[in-house]
Amino acid sequence: MESSPRSGPLSRYRVLDLAGPPGLHCTKLLADMGADVIKVEAPAGEQSRRIPPFKDDIPHPETSLYHLHFNTNKRSITLDLESADGRAIFLQLAGKADVVIETYSPELSDRLGLNYAQLSAVNPKIVVASITPFGRSGPWRNYQADDLAGIALGNLLYIGGEQGKPPIQPAGELAYGMAGTYAAVAIAVALFHRVTSGRGQQIDASMHECAAHIAGYAIPHYSASGAKPARPKRNGQEADLYDPFAVKDGYVRFFIVAREQWRRLVDWMGRPPSISGPEFEKTTYRRQNPAIVQSAIAEFCRGFTKEEMYEEGQKRRISVTPINTAGEFVECSQTKARELFVEMNHPVVGKYMQFAGVPRLTECPGSMHRSAPLLGEHNQEIYCGELGLSHDDLVALRAAGVI
Amino acid sequence: MSDLPLAAIRVVELTTGAAGPTVGRVLCEFGAEVIRCETRLRGDGHRGEDPKLWNKKPDFMKLQRGKKSFTVNMQTAKGRDLVKRLVQKSDVLIENFGLGILEKWGLDYPQLQEINPACILIRVKGMGCTGPHATDLSYGPNVINNMGATYLWNYPDATTPTAEARTQHPDFMGGVAGAFGVVAALLQRTVTGRGDMIDNAQLEIGASLLGPKYMEYSVNRRDPKPQGNRSLIAAPYGAYPCQGKDRWCAISVYTQAEWESFTGVVQKKSPAKPAAKFATHLGRVRHREELDQWVGQWTVQQDPYDIMESLQSAGVCAAVVQEVEDQFKRDRQYAATGFLVEMTEPEAGNITTENLPIRLSETPGEVRGLAPLMGQHTYEIARDLLGLADDEIKQLEAEQVLY
Repeated sequence: MESSPRSGPLSRYRVLDLAGPPGLHCTKLLADMGADVIKVEAPAGEQSRRIPPFKDDIPHPETSLYHLHFNTNKRSITLDLESADGRAIFLQLAGKADVVIETYSPELSDRLGLNYAQLSAVNPKIVVASITPFGRSGPWRNYQADDLAGIALGNLLYIGGEQGKPPIQPAGELAYGMAGTYAAVAIAVALFHRVTSGRGQQIDASMHECAAHIAGYAIPHYSASGAKPARPKRNGQEADLYDPFAVKDGYVRFFIVAREQWRRLVDWMGRPPSISGPEFEKTTYRRQNPAIVQSAIAEFCRGFTKEEMYEEGQKRRISVTPINTAGEFVECSQTKARELFVEMNHPVVGKYMQFAGVPRLTECPGSMHRSAPLLGEHNQEIYCGELGLSHDDLVALRAAGVI
Repeated sequence: MSDLPLAAIRVVELTTGAAGPTVGRVLCEFGAEVIRCETRLRGDGHRGEDPKLWNKKPDFMKLQRGKKSFTVNMQTAKGRDLVKRLVQKSDVLIENFGLGILEKWGLDYPQLQEINPACILIRVKGMGCTGPHATDLSYGPNVINNMGATYLWNYPDATTPTAEARTQHPDFMGGVAGAFGVVAALLQRTVTGRGDMIDNAQLEIGASLLGPKYMEYSVNRRDPKPQGNRSLIAAPYGAYPCQGKDRWCAISVYTQAEWESFTGVVQKKSPAKPAAKFATHLGRVRHREELDQWVGQWTVQQDPYDIMESLQSAGVCAAVVQEVEDQFKRDRQYAATGFLVEMTEPEAGNITTENLPIRLSETPGEVRGLAPLMGQHTYEIARDLLGLADDEIKQLEAEQVLY
C-alpha cells in the first residue's frame, strides 16, 4: 500500500531481501533509508509472518505485528529458491540488483547457488551480505543460533535476571538488532567503495560476534583486571544510584556519575545531613555506604509522581528518567512531539501506528511510505513489469508452486 | 591503510561518553581518519577525572582505539577557531554534548554549512535534537527506562521493578546505527556534493527493536507485561541449569524434528523418557513449566559445553550462557576467528577489545591501532593539517588553547 514515493539517501539502490528474522532489522534500516527492498519469500511466506503478537491475537499471515513492524517500506514477491525455475528467476533479479541479503546457513546458501561467487558471476557489482549465527568460517559455522543463543554466548544473558534465579533475556532481539545494524553499516560501506572501484563484495556478519558488542566493556575490563560482571544484586549496592526508586505511581532511576550532578541532587533534597558530607561526593564512598544513601533518596522520591520527578529532576540537570511501560512510551510527550509513530493503513489490519525510521537525516530524510506488503503483493509488478514475464508465465509458475 | 574503504574520509569528533565515540570507532575501523578533540581541562567520561588514569582505562581503549587525540580548549575563541579550520578540511563532524553546546561553539548545522557545506554533521543525543525533552541530561542507561526496556526485562511473575542487566545498549546500538546514517549520507554526497545533518536519538534507535511491543499497545490496546524467557514458538526455550556453580545453557527447540533430535540426545545419556504430554508442540507449550523441569533434570548433570556440542551436532539450537571468562578461554569460535584483539597500550598494558564483527571480502576493516594518549597528535595535526609553525604551536600551548 504505497502512500508516498520512496525517499532517503539509499533511494538509488535495490536490495533483494532473502532474510529471516535475524536479518529483518538490517533490511528495515535500508528500506527506511529509501532503498527499494524486495522481500523474496518462499510461497508459504517468510517466517516473521508466523511470529506473535497478532492483531487481536488471531494468527493470520498478514496480521503478525512483528511482521508489520519489520517489513514496512518493503515490497514482496514469492519465489521457491529450491526449484530450478526459482533459481533461474532469482539470477535474473540479481542481475538488476545492488545488494542481496540472506540469513541461510553457509551450507544452504552454497547449495541454493546464492553465495557471493555464484551471484557475482551474474553481476560483478553486487554486494552480498550474509548474516549468520557464527559467520561463514570457524568451527561453529554450521551451528544454529537464535537471538537467545546469541545473547547467551555474548555474555548479555548471564547478567540479566536475579541472582539465584535463571538468567532472562531482554525484550527486543538485541543480538539480531546489533547484527542487522552492523551489516547495514557494512553494506553502506561496500556501496561507497563500489562508487570508486566499480566492484561489489561479500559481507560476512556474525551474530555471535555482534552480540559481544552489546554487553559493554566486559571484555576490555576482564583483560585488564579479571573482573567478571554478574547478575545485579539489587539490594542497594548498585553503583551510581542505578537501582529503581519507588515514587507514587511507579519507579524512576537515576544515573549519577559527575560530581556536580550529585551536588545538585543533594541540594534539591534540602541537604539532608546524613548524605551532605563531602565524602559522599565520591562514587566509591557512596558504593561503600549504600544503606545511608539509598534510604535518604528513597524517602525523598516517595513524595513525587514519575512525571514530577522526571520534569523537575531534568530541570535541575539531574539525569533521572521514569521506568515506563511500552504504552507509556507511546503516549509520552517526547514521542508525540517527534512524531515517532505515524499512522498507516494496511489492507488487512486497518489503520495503525507505525514506528518511524531512524536515524533522521535533514536534507535527504527517509520516510514511512508503505506498510508491510501482503504475501506476493508485487509478483505481477515485478515479474511482468520488470522482468518481462507474461501472465501465462505467471500462471505456469504458480501451477508449479514456484511463486 | 589505503585499501580501507573510508580511507579518504576525515572525521572530527567532539564527543564524550560512549555513543558518540562509537560512531567514530566504527568509521575508524573502516579506514576513516578520526580526530578526537578533547581537553586537559577535564578528562571525558571514559578517561576519568584523575589525570594519572587518563591513558589507562580499558573502556576508553575499546571506544577510542585507532583514533587521534587533538587537545584543544573550546572555552577559548582561538580554540574554537582552530576546530572550525579542522572541520573545514573534514568530511564528518560527530558531536554528542548537551543540546546548545555546539550552537555556542558556532558549529551547529546552519553555521557548519557556511564553514563547509559538504560536511556531514551527526548529533548523537539521548532523546534527539527536538521535542520537550531534547535537553534532558540522559545517558544510555537512562533512555532504556524511557523506552520501556527496563520494565520489560523481567520475569513474568516479577516481584521487583526490573531484573535488567546493568547495560547501556542504546549507546552501542545507537553508535553503530549512527555510523550507518553517516555512510548513507556519504553515499548521497557522492551524487549531490552536499552534506547533511543527522539527528540520531539513542532512545529511538533502542526503541526500534521494541516495535512489536508498541503495536501490542496501540493495535491490541494492551500494555505488554514482562515475559522473561517465555515463548509460544519454541519449547523447550530458555536458560537451563548445568553442572557447576551458576552455569546455564540456552536451548531452543522450534520444530518437531528438532524435538526428536533433542530427545534422542537426552536418551543417549540418561534413561529419562519424556512424558506423553510432551509429544507435540502444543503439549510442550501448554506444559512448559513441567517440560522445563524435565529438561533441567537432564541438563543439571552435564557440562554446558557438552550440552551445546551434543545438541548442535544433532541440529538443535543450544548455546552456553557464557561468562566473560568463557569468552576468553572456552569460546572456540572467537579463538578461531581472532575476534578478541590484544594490544599493548603504552600506559594501560595489555588490553583486549572486540574486533569488527563483520568481514568484507575486498575491504576488510580492522582495529586500527592503539588508543591515543591525551594530546598525542596535537602537534602533528596543528602542524600538518592546520599549517601552524612550531613557535605558533608553542605559543598556543602556553596560552592553554592547544590544551
